[in-house]
Amino acid sequence: MEPVKLTAKDYKTSVPIVWCPGCGDFGVLNAMQQAAAELAIPPENLMVVSGIGCSSRIAGYVNAFGFNTIHGRALPIASGAKLARPEMTVWAAGGDGDGYSIGTNHFVHTIRRNADITYIVMDNNIYGLTKGQVSPTTPHGDYTKSTPLGNPDRPLNPLALALELGATYIAQGFSGNVKHLRDLIVKGTQHKGFAFINVKSPCVTFRGRQEFNVVREHGVYLDESHDPSSWEKAHEVTQWKEKIPLGVIYHVHGVPTLDEIARDLQHKAEEQGHVETSKDLLEIFG
Amino acid sequence: MRDVTLAIAGSGGDGVITAGDFIVQAAARKGLNAFMLKSYGPQIRGGESSARIRISDRPIYSQGDFVDFLVVFSWKDFARFSDEIKLRKGAVVLYDEADSTPPEEFPIAAELGAELIAVPFKKMAAEEIKVPLTKNMVALGVIAALLHLPLDGIKDAVMKKFGKRKPEAAQVNIEAIDLGKGWVEKNLPDGTQIVLEAEGTGEPKLVMTGDDAVAYGALHAGVKVFAGYPITPASPILEFLSKWLPHFGGAVVQTEDEIAAITYAIGASWAGKQAMTASSGPGVALKLEALGLAAIAEIPLVVVNVQRVGPSTGIPSKSEQADLFQAVGGTPGDVPRVVLAPSDVEDNFQVAIEAFYIAEKYQIPVVILSDQFLGERSETIDPDVLFARKRVIARQLAKPSDLKEYKRYKLTDTGVSPMTVPGMKGGQYITSGLEHYEDGRPTSSGTMHQIMSEKRARKLPLIAEESGFVRVYGDEDAELAVLAWGSSKGAVREAVERARAEGIKVKAIVPQLIYPVPEKKLDAALKGVKRAVVVELSFGAQFYRFLRAYYDGLPKETYSYARSGANPLLVSEVLEAIKEHAGAMNAPQEA
Ligand SMILES: Cc1ncc(C[n+]2csc(CCOP(=O)(O)OP(=O)(O)O)c2C)c(N)n1
Ligand code: SF4
Ligand SMILES: [Mg+2]
Repeated sequence: MEPVKLTAKDYKTSVPIVWCPGCGDFGVLNAMQQAAAELAIPPENLMVVSGIGCSSRIAGYVNAFGFNTIHGRALPIASGAKLARPEMTVWAAGGDGDGYSIGTNHFVHTIRRNADITYIVMDNNIYGLTKGQVSPTTPHGDYTKSTPLGNPDRPLNPLALALELGATYIAQGFSGNVKHLRDLIVKGTQHKGFAFINVKSPCVTFRGRQEFNVVREHGVYLDESHDPSSWEKAHEVTQWKEKIPLGVIYHVHGVPTLDEIARDLQHKAEEQGHVETSKDLLEIFG
Repeated sequence: MRDVTLAIAGSGGDGVITAGDFIVQAAARKGLNAFMLKSYGPQIRGGESSARIRISDRPIYSQGDFVDFLVVFSWKDFARFSDEIKLRKGAVVLYDEADSTPPEEFPIAAELGAELIAVPFKKMAAEEIKVPLTKNMVALGVIAALLHLPLDGIKDAVMKKFGKRKPEAAQVNIEAIDLGKGWVEKNLPDGTQIVLEAEGTGEPKLVMTGDDAVAYGALHAGVKVFAGYPITPASPILEFLSKWLPHFGGAVVQTEDEIAAITYAIGASWAGKQAMTASSGPGVALKLEALGLAAIAEIPLVVVNVQRVGPSTGIPSKSEQADLFQAVGGTPGDVPRVVLAPSDVEDNFQVAIEAFYIAEKYQIPVVILSDQFLGERSETIDPDVLFARKRVIARQLAKPSDLKEYKRYKLTDTGVSPMTVPGMKGGQYITSGLEHYEDGRPTSSGTMHQIMSEKRARKLPLIAEESGFVRVYGDEDAELAVLAWGSSKGAVREAVERARAEGIKVKAIVPQLIYPVPEKKLDAALKGVKRAVVVELSFGAQFYRFLRAYYDGLPKETYSYARSGANPLLVSEVLEAIKEHAGAMNAPQEA
């Protein structure tokens, strides 16, 4: 029997979408659905975990095992799920506040453990759901509801941070270019290890429509001249000031993943001595 | 004596705990009952430490109020334990003659009439064994000879610990033990006034700590993913499972913090594997938001809290029962959850199994409230009783018929809805921390919130009905009862037995399930009781106030005996409380 061909439609759900018209996150949702179809992941084998924020609502909009969790905790929940069921495809998603503020600790350590999940951050440089406060990626000096005198903080650079921490796949996409983003997600999903995709996904309500134009004007698609296996090259790209890099910035293979390490430890334990049932452990208490 | 309590006090480097472990293991091999409490000062290494061991041929419920036999390597270190180590009149005290404290400055009261014996522990180890570190083993030989502990059992235990990996170390230790024994034969041929006269059954027992027991119970129950962050006194659970869970196809992650630990567990359980996390009060505080997530998303989860003295960092190495309110209510929103309280080491094992049973059957988070006093003590236990309870169940999966228009949160009579796991075709659904409809779609409808709150709460009376027996000790028909929970059981049970031996009619009532309150079982236990005393180690009397708030069946005359923790509950203080209330009940009524 021919396998049934899956299309993006197969990944739509009946959950009503609450995003504002024109929100960048629509583009990300389309890209995710198209990527899932391209990868032909049966919906029951796909897990989508998000935190809290406008962007995190996305977990309900993809036909999969979806989990819209709590603020900042998408990564450890996704990691636990992958550890439990390594045969499943696990995507994590959320916003810049979710991932780079309240969830930073988990971002750091998920990279360190190289959990085999794809993490899509819809970076809109603002707290959308709570209606317009400054976020860790809001530019210095910008006026937001919680920085009426201008943002006193300097923004965090998530790409540079991920690179420094040893992430094995780092990419940046734009919600205004769904095809390109879809490809980044497909590649990231195929990558064995933590695939981090920062997506410029404008909040039209609290940052304005012109944010799309900013990315269109300053976005530079990385071509063959960029070697993503070179840490130095990647580093250079993450330090761009005006230009916005789009594409795979860094990609290396062969770093053991969280679930591979767990299996290794199981083999190591077995080599030290076979334990058949829990009752056999009684002798250690003798 | 058939019931001896001995204590060894010294500095970290003195090997006090190791010596204590060997004594307990030797007792276990002979089929004796033993109970060991370790205590440490605040220093990380090298600070004072003490091991307090009670051995008897009768069941042991508590650490024993008074010490019969004391070994002191350093008086200065011993003085730091003066709160905890109280000597019985006529106790035997062995001290290292190397300690320069003059006898008139020994920190023990003269009126105790203790039998003081100077022993050259350090000298023998340094000069004859040539390994000063074996001082504890020399002491072990002396203790064994004087108390009539089974020397062969001690040697067996030493061989088991070192035999395979370090045979030379085993040899040296055994020489040191023999040296101590020889010293007694030469210098104290008549022994001392305290001798253990208990005969073991000959049936070897196991030695387990409460933390290991809860971890082992979880393993037996089928835990596959454990995530934790180190904290005293819960770390041994992380350590035990790190060693053994990989043998059973499971995984352990030491996460970046406690929030990650509980969320790893939630993710794993949502994905279909039994999962657990463990911490102590401060770490559990960090987990509470996620506990609410497990509750509203109805994800099976087991959370262990090995309570320590709070608030905040409090006294990390000591015990208290003051996280009860946190366990029962410390989460935003109306959070249906289950709180189970183990009461001794064996019970830690059983409660872990029960916790997984309830979590999986009812899709609800279960909190196990252990404490330092339970977690870090060692007890001998009967291997046969461990596996008596057959309550191990796997994930209860939705049936194929449930998958047609699958509703993850389908309203049912029991409140339990069909649950799928990834890989089940047609079983995918959206879940969240948001209130939702039956199919998981988020809603902000107040009506739905009421309906779903009722659905989730429907599980609670069923759990109260099915699980968590209430233990009753003493006179069935007593009009006076002591109500206690968790680790207080030991001292309370012993106090009740002593009171009864003195002619007072009294019983102890100890629920294993704290929340939901097992009302019917408590009603039955309290039948005919006119006066109750609620005994606990919580300055704020949390258990007393909890019962007042959640349970209508308390006798009109219900009193509280509550004090802050750190110092273990004494049998004598509970006995005094019993006597006081028994006296008040029998006093002539005023006209
Ligand atoms: C523990 C906790 N703190 C605060 C909040 C409130 N909150 C919800 S979303 C959010 C920030 C959302 O920003 P971001 O993650 O960038 O997502 P966006 O809405 O911009 O997509 C905050 C602070 C919360 N839900 N939980
Ligand atoms: S507030 Fe901004 S981020 Fe949120 S849905 Fe509207 S446009 Fe999108
Ligand atoms: Mg944002």
